[in-house]
Amino acid sequence: MSSRKRHGIKKTVSFSDDEAFLRRRSSKNENKRMGLLNPPVYVRKTIGTVPIHLPGLTYYYLKISNDFDTVRLLYMLIVTQLLFLVFQFNRNTIYGNKRLKIHFGSLAISIVACFLLTLPCMLLIVLMGAPFGMLLWETWLLAAHCCFLAFPAVYSVFNCDFKVGVFKNYFLSICIGCWVSCVVIPLDWDRPWQEWPIPLVVGGYLGAFVGYTICSYV
Amino acid sequence: MSSMLDNASDEAYVKRGMLSSSSEEKRLYKARIQRFDSAHRHYIVLMGALAVLQFIAIAFFTRGFLLTRNVLENVASVTEAYGKFDKCVILIVDALRFDFAAPVDPADSSFNTNYHNNMPIFNMSWDSDTGSSLLLKFIADPPTTTLQRLKGLTTGSLPTFIDAGSNFNGKVIEEDNFIKQLYLRDKRVLFAGDDTWQALFEPFLSSQSEFHESLNVWDLDTVDNGVIDFFERKFLTVPQQEQEWDVLIGHMLGMDHVGHKYGPQHFTMKEKQLQVSDFIDDIRKTIDDNTLLIVMGDHGMDHTGNHGGDSKDELEAALWLYTKQTKAWNHLPEEQYSMDDLGLNYREVNQIDLVPTFSLLMGLPIPFNNLGWPFDEIATSEEESQMYSRLTLEQLKSYKDTSGVISNQHINQRLSDLWVLASNNYSKSADYQKFFLESCKDMWTRFDYWSIGSGITLLAISLLLLMSVTKLIPSIVVGQMVSEFVPSIIMMALVSNVCFNGIFHVLHQPSFLENWIWCSLFATAVGIIIGCCIPIFDRYNLTWILLKFLEELSDYWSRIAALLLTLHAIAFTSNSFTIWEDRIVCFLLTTLGMLTLNEFIFLPKRQSTTALLSAANGDKIPASTERLQAYRPHTENLPLGRFARLVGAYHSIVLIVCTRLSSMITICREEQGDKCTATFTLTNNYSVWCLLICLLLVPFLPSCIQGYYNVCSSYQAAAPIWIGQFLKAVLLTNFIYWALTACENRIPNWDWDLKIVKFTISRMIVGFSLIAANVGWMMGPLCVKINVRNNDLKSQQATILGYTNAYGSQYFLLVINFLMCIILFNKPLAQVSLFLMCNQLLSILEIFDLLKMKENLIGPVAMGLLAHQQFFSTGHQATIPSVQWDMGFILTERITFPFTHLSIVMNTFGPHILVALSVALLTLWKQAPSVLKPQTILARIVSNCGMLLIYNTVLCLSTFAWVTHFRRHLMVWKIFCPRFILASLCLIVTHVVIIFITIAFSSARLIKQINNIFWK
Repeated sequence: MSSRKRHGIKKTVSFSDDEAFLRRRSSKNENKRMGLLNPPVYVRKTIGTVPIHLPGLTYYYLKISNDFDTVRLLYMLIVTQLLFLVFQFNRNTIYGNKRLKIHFGSLAISIVACFLLTLPCMLLIVLMGAPFGMLLWETWLLAAHCCFLAFPAVYSVFNCDFKVGVFKNYFLSICIGCWVSCVVIPLDWDRPWQEWPIPLVVGGYLGAFVGYTICSYV
Repeated sequence: MSSMLDNASDEAYVKRGMLSSSSEEKRLYKARIQRFDSAHRHYIVLMGALAVLQFIAIAFFTRGFLLTRNVLENVASVTEAYGKFDKCVILIVDALRFDFAAPVDPADSSFNTNYHNNMPIFNMSWDSDTGSSLLLKFIADPPTTTLQRLKGLTTGSLPTFIDAGSNFNGKVIEEDNFIKQLYLRDKRVLFAGDDTWQALFEPFLSSQSEFHESLNVWDLDTVDNGVIDFFERKFLTVPQQEQEWDVLIGHMLGMDHVGHKYGPQHFTMKEKQLQVSDFIDDIRKTIDDNTLLIVMGDHGMDHTGNHGGDSKDELEAALWLYTKQTKAWNHLPEEQYSMDDLGLNYREVNQIDLVPTFSLLMGLPIPFNNLGWPFDEIATSEEESQMYSRLTLEQLKSYKDTSGVISNQHINQRLSDLWVLASNNYSKSADYQKFFLESCKDMWTRFDYWSIGSGITLLAISLLLLMSVTKLIPSIVVGQMVSEFVPSIIMMALVSNVCFNGIFHVLHQPSFLENWIWCSLFATAVGIIIGCCIPIFDRYNLTWILLKFLEELSDYWSRIAALLLTLHAIAFTSNSFTIWEDRIVCFLLTTLGMLTLNEFIFLPKRQSTTALLSAANGDKIPASTERLQAYRPHTENLPLGRFARLVGAYHSIVLIVCTRLSSMITICREEQGDKCTATFTLTNNYSVWCLLICLLLVPFLPSCIQGYYNVCSSYQAAAPIWIGQFLKAVLLTNFIYWALTACENRIPNWDWDLKIVKFTISRMIVGFSLIAANVGWMMGPLCVKINVRNNDLKSQQATILGYTNAYGSQYFLLVINFLMCIILFNKPLAQVSLFLMCNQLLSILEIFDLLKMKENLIGPVAMGLLAHQQFFSTGHQATIPSVQWDMGFILTERITFPFTHLSIVMNTFGPHILVALSVALLTLWKQAPSVLKPQTILARIVSNCGMLLIYNTVLCLSTFAWVTHFRRHLMVWKIFCPRFILASLCLIVTHVVIIFITIAFSSARLIKQINNIFWK
């Protein structure tokens, strides 16, 4: 926010990582003025962004807790994701050649945004084939999990002038995780963890884990 | 009509204006058309040869996999005298499920007054002074079709699956059976009812027997009233001494037909049950002391009222034995007949057990092939029990020794041990029968691995050939090569036929071929393979083909296509995935929609987009790009323009939403259990809201199609006539037809006979849509219009509206013809689904046109997915009971060769037919004339058709492989085998439609016509 004020940058919403933008990023040394107008946004390639809490939570959910309480898991996720954002993810996000400090206003906004995003997310899940009219609470829980798995990315999008293109892969990795995990739903193993939405929650966690780990390298 | 005339004059005008008239060009044009014609003929032969190859592969696999059983013609003879009854009345009540007859606790959650406790006759007090009765649960062996059941019920043997296919032309039973035994003992057998008996037993039945047609499931009363009337005349009103029969058999079909037509929950079921119950009571009162009364169901019905599979409800029928003699049955302890949990633990007997029971009670020898065991209840003393056991045991032993069915040494040893045990102690003899029966069940699932292997191999090779010919070798080269393919295929087929038949005739090798027909088929297949390989390897080698294959999969969308295809194909690796295939297909199609949506919104950079662009522009890039850009300024520049992206995103959303909506229409498989709520039910289909939606479709479907036409301003000339008038009129007539049907179904006291009206309507629609409309289409209904702006000659300017989509708009009219016909053969909810399919189809076309992927693998794969998704959402499943047989009687009252079959094919494979037709649209949609040469367009159409065939072939091959792998699986006959049959039929239907209609008929005619008008 402060950087925006200093340079007087015009706010734009970009949904594409189009060619021109990438070229500018790669040739920022040649053209410093362009670099100032469009400061580079990226996540540093360190192991600092590995979200170790996600496999931990998954392990707790599947093995330690006996009741697969998705609501409790959601509370734990929100707290750990906040900590992850503050201590790991945000520290490694670079915008305009410098690390950003945590901005509590954006933090609050992005939490609200995450809750609002659960509705389109839920619509997406229903469109992909989730039951319609039944099990809506479970579907909402799944949507909430997905949104809060994406919470650090959502915060960064808010904090980095809506450069969605950079953070798109984080969202995608969660989607792919959920998509792949659908494979266990039809199997006739009659395991308690095949209940809706447990496989997708777990898939989302694993997808997010992979995403936060490798997306900065892609 | 006026616009029709306009159209004609427009055409002439365009011709005059565009076709330059110099004689040199005319000659060139003629030569080009000649070349096109000859290439077209060669393409048909080439695709036909590949189709024949695949049909032969399917035939071989089917021959090896669908089992057959050797039938012995030995007949048992009398050895000693026994028997308790002289006469017998057998009443078969088709589909009399066990819980229809047994007393059900009204407090039970599944209690239904429409089919429970309506037949009190079966539950009158046991062993009162009036006689003795015995009610048993009668377990049928699958398949639960009437023909198989009758064979099992009379011979005591186990019919195999292959017999299920011959239900429509049963032949006289050659095996020993109790009807034949009665005939040989000079007993007069009088029969009335189901005409399946006529085919099976006519030589053994009295000439006074009456047969009624059985397969018209919409006729509830003719057979039943016929049987009741016959019994009145021959039995109920005739004094004992004058009766001309010893065994009287009735086979009533009403209950089965109520099940097929309305399902068991319908109130008609109650009426039928009360009628049958009263009838049985009349018989019971009339019989004398020496007459045995047997009432039985040959199978049950599932919750939808259908049968054919092996679910609990389909297998459990009821059997009731009654005699006026007191204490005739030796009942087992009371807890064996417990009705708790709807009779879950009620005493059950196998259907084949009736055969020895009947023979022993009637004093007949037990039929030679029998595998059953007499009921314990019929022996009233220890001596009787011993005698019955001994007689049955001797028969089983003699069958085993004569037939030599058991070749396995271990099983033989075990049987000998059991035989010794049983000879010493008759109470152990039932063990012998049980083990023998189990071993026979195993034996009759023995497969012909040579045929299976050659079927799979041939199909795999045909897949490789199909891939090389239609996708890997560039279509231009194939265009030159077709003239080499055809002679080489024909020559090699002849040569190989001579070789194989010669070797087979002299050496009888390879021996699995058995006769010259199979030998010729095999030889033809080999000939086609070699004939295709010669021209291919003349120009290319294996390395090149392999590299080309990898190259083909090098771009993002091709990989997505391959991924979707692979996922669909590997779904058959597990019974769970096969059961849930409807959801999986839907999920994959939605995924594709999401991916295209992502493409349009985020516009990711792809390495291959430029390559794709040049590929889409055809061979002569520099010349044609300019021209293209002139016509399509919005979409030609990649990355897509803002407007194109918006439109693309809109179409993706339409695809996703329509897929999701239509997926809500489902007829659940039995295995899906409570995880699935069936919406494609009788109640919903004929409900007011569903009919209202159908009424809304009448204006809405044409206007949706009009919307898609308007994108290129193609809604001109012929289009308003076809879409705005023909389609609308047909939809309205169709609505009237289904509204009448719904009234008949829903209103209890409906007594107007609408048969004639309904047949007239349905025949009108079919005649119009299949014949009249197609003839009209052959006239060439062009969808363009000329706007002339200035009328003075110098500055005259003409705009051709609908020019950019001249090919596609006209071709889609043909699709509409078939759509009109297919909609008639689908129930109202399925019609809604087909409406959604139209939107999905057109959106897919728009999407892939915007993305410039007319040649990509993804287009046909999306189409293939769409066909399967719609197959499921039009109320079908990959099971035999879910075939909508009642649709066969829309055109005719009884089974008539082409019409009944046509109706069922149109109903079952409607989406596949539509997709096989419209796959050509991937090339033709928004294809402006005079950009590509006629031959190039044809080559591209063939290439896209080839990809759709590859899709179906891969699925078919996958089902072949997995059904073979799971041949000993518990669920093979219920899940995997029907899926393999479905996959084979899909492949065959797709082949036939693509070759005869898409390639041979419509594409060539269209291309020639358009080129005739527009080519400069």
